[in-house]
Amino acid sequence: MDRFCFKSNIWIVLLALTVATPIFVVASAWLLPGGELWAHFAQTLLTDLVISTVILLFGVGLGVSVLGTILAYLVVMVKFPGHRWLEWALFLPFAIPAYVLAFVYLGVFDYSGYAQVWMREALGLPGFDIRAGHWAIILTFILVFYPYVYMMARASFKRQKIHMIEAGKMLGASPIRIFWRISVPLARPAIAAGLLVTLMETLADFGVVSLFNYSTFTTAIYSAWGDFRSIEVAAQLASLLVLVAFFLIYFERRARGKAKYYSTDVSHIRPYTANGWIGWLLFAFVFCVFMLSFAMPILQIIIWSMDVFAEEWSGKYTSFFTSTAILTLSAAALTVTVATVLALPSRCKNQSRVLQMLIHLSTLGYALPGSVMAVGLMYGVQNISFISEYFGGSSLNHLLFGSIALLLFAYVSRFMAIAYNSTNASSEQIKPVYEQSARLLGASRFRLIWQVYLPMMTPGIMAGALLVAVDVMKELPATYLLRPFGWDTLAIRVYELSAEGLFERAAVPALMMVAFGALLMLAFNKLDSSRL
Amino acid sequence: MFTKRIIVSILALSTLVVGSVTLIQAATDDTVTVYSSRKEHLIQPLFEQYTKETGIEVSYLTGKGGDLIERMKLEGKNTPADMFMTVDAGDLWYAGTQDVFRPVLTDTLQSNIPPYLRDPEGLWVGLSIRARTIVYSTERVDSSELSTYADLADDKWQGRLCLRTSKKIYTKSLVASIIHNEGEEGAEAIVRGWVNNLAATPNAKDSHVMDAILAGQCDVGLVNTYYFGRLIEETPDAPLSLFWANQETTGVHVNVSGAGVTKHASNAKGATQLLEWLSSAKAQAIYVSLNKEYPANQSVASDAIVSAWGAFKKDNMNLAIAGILQADAVTLMQRIGYK
Repeated sequence: MDRFCFKSNIWIVLLALTVATPIFVVASAWLLPGGELWAHFAQTLLTDLVISTVILLFGVGLGVSVLGTILAYLVVMVKFPGHRWLEWALFLPFAIPAYVLAFVYLGVFDYSGYAQVWMREALGLPGFDIRAGHWAIILTFILVFYPYVYMMARASFKRQKIHMIEAGKMLGASPIRIFWRISVPLARPAIAAGLLVTLMETLADFGVVSLFNYSTFTTAIYSAWGDFRSIEVAAQLASLLVLVAFFLIYFERRARGKAKYYSTDVSHIRPYTANGWIGWLLFAFVFCVFMLSFAMPILQIIIWSMDVFAEEWSGKYTSFFTSTAILTLSAAALTVTVATVLALPSRCKNQSRVLQMLIHLSTLGYALPGSVMAVGLMYGVQNISFISEYFGGSSLNHLLFGSIALLLFAYVSRFMAIAYNSTNASSEQIKPVYEQSARLLGASRFRLIWQVYLPMMTPGIMAGALLVAVDVMKELPATYLLRPFGWDTLAIRVYELSAEGLFERAAVPALMMVAFGALLMLAFNKLDSSRL
Repeated sequence: MFTKRIIVSILALSTLVVGSVTLIQAATDDTVTVYSSRKEHLIQPLFEQYTKETGIEVSYLTGKGGDLIERMKLEGKNTPADMFMTVDAGDLWYAGTQDVFRPVLTDTLQSNIPPYLRDPEGLWVGLSIRARTIVYSTERVDSSELSTYADLADDKWQGRLCLRTSKKIYTKSLVASIIHNEGEEGAEAIVRGWVNNLAATPNAKDSHVMDAILAGQCDVGLVNTYYFGRLIEETPDAPLSLFWANQETTGVHVNVSGAGVTKHASNAKGATQLLEWLSSAKAQAIYVSLNKEYPANQSVASDAIVSAWGAFKKDNMNLAIAGILQADAVTLMQRIGYK
């Protein structure tokens, strides 16, 4: 009906299917038996870990939504002391890997950490086991992941028409009422998108939960594989995570409803000014979040690394850094390119449900723990090898395992969700009037994409690329299993040292990661100064 | 447009990288390739020394033991790995059952490494001994109160015990050895007692266990001795001490790190030669000094800090048993709720 619309383009279908390969491989594990182990898990771990996973998701979800939204609203809508630098500073925690933050928090706040030692000795309070219960790990996750909601909500608040808020003010609504009745409802899709990413990331996490010795679904996945050497059951359990993620996406879509928000206008006018003590109170609140989530951990990492810098530093760091940079940048470029293509069909008025479902399926890799994704890919390659051998060819396993191609494929598959979230949101925001004009003027499909869609999607593409780059930089399990010889990254160095309990030495590569992450944010911000 | 040019150039760059992908390093013929779950900073100095002495390059890839075994299985006869090195007898045993190794029982290996530290068929040899024993606060515990692993289950340690997580392979091997020595029911009673006595959620690391004892959260714990060695090296006057467990009975539980030549090694000769070198007195001295472990080659003296702890009776259970009983150990711990 419409030659401009990519409603059911076969190439897009194939692309989505390819990205979703690991999901299919993991789900196909249900064809294999696993009964005995399931019975054992059902008797021992499952009840406990389902309950604690639900508590964790609920606590983290609530926490990041509230914190991320409030912070975003404050920096966009209110003028208070320090709002300008805090607006950027609040992005910085992105650069710290969750497991690094967790080991810093444990080092400072656990029973033997100096915060508790001081509390006991100076204040005479009793000590406590920070890893018991749920609250400490929930707080850690909130401080690690709030930037996802903050970033998306902030972009959404920026696009809100200032005159709607002015109208609210003229009608005498209080700032809090305007926040609840105008700003939050308009930003709901953005908050939900940030929340979705957070929940998927929490579900798939293994680093933080193992440092806290907390039980989530990944505990059972790693137990099935690590303890009982059953890849089948590990994959079966992991496919349940994918199912949960699928429902989360479904509810997010439903919550968004049919509402469309066309706008790329950005206003820099802040409708409210907080003077006097209220201003300083707001500053103190935002600054506290920044301190806890970034400044304090970084300071601790710097202190640790100063002690052992001479011992740990060597020429190898050039190679760690180069591998990290090359993998990070090429994975980001590749992932957003695919994500941009996958976002094109959403321009159609009558979207094909099957294609949309397929595209969503291709983003579910984000809920898979990295190592399950990596093993899934290895088995995927194995199947191709079987076919190749059947037709008299040879096995491809040794060529593809440990090749950059497979590793990049793993990254694309794993991080498609965050790239697609960004590109799709920006594609949906393009006002139909632009493409109508282009078509009236006789533009070809190629020109329409190249000269209308791409420039208008650039902010989304850039934001997606940045998020993927930072996530790839922090990624550990898939990189650890699939990297080529000699391609050790900074994240691997951090892991190998901290696994041996050498946290001080691990601080050196961790610090480099944070610096590199901050540099990436700065660079992307420069490339797209108006809107990130 | 500026942004467009950037996008295009990033794309070009990534294509370039992807294109150069499968440039898998063309290894020269005599290079030995090692897959290792022993961490890079502990093996790299050794391999450097080997290259210096023999001119033979060693390329290596670190990873988790189970992951690397899986990778070798899938790579089959085309695997680049000539040698597989890992840090737990259970992993070595499992790799043996997965047909990853080939038997290499040369005279040199037989004379360097005592029989109980090798696979009976010569699939793998142990290269260092790692003892897991009791660590205690010298301020709050008198060594006369300590005796065995089983004793830590006694009520007198209620709220005074710190343990590492049951997810760690060292814990699994220790509990496997207890199942072997005390039977399933005896082991269950011991582990249940431990869990009842815990002062805190089991720790993720041995170093956290010792930190907790130093901070007064608990009084006793179980650690691999080299973690204690590292701590003492940094803070010699820390009020902590090791206690050799089960000296009147079965002896201290020991584990090994070790290696074997892979079944499909393309350079089996080179790998065997490297393995023999690793078992030699000179290499063993480097091997153990890097990590304060006990040498597998009995002619080599331990590091000064380590030998100060004195001699002790080792549990001489065949290490393959730790592997065979590991799944039982995990089942038992999960049933009891040892996290």
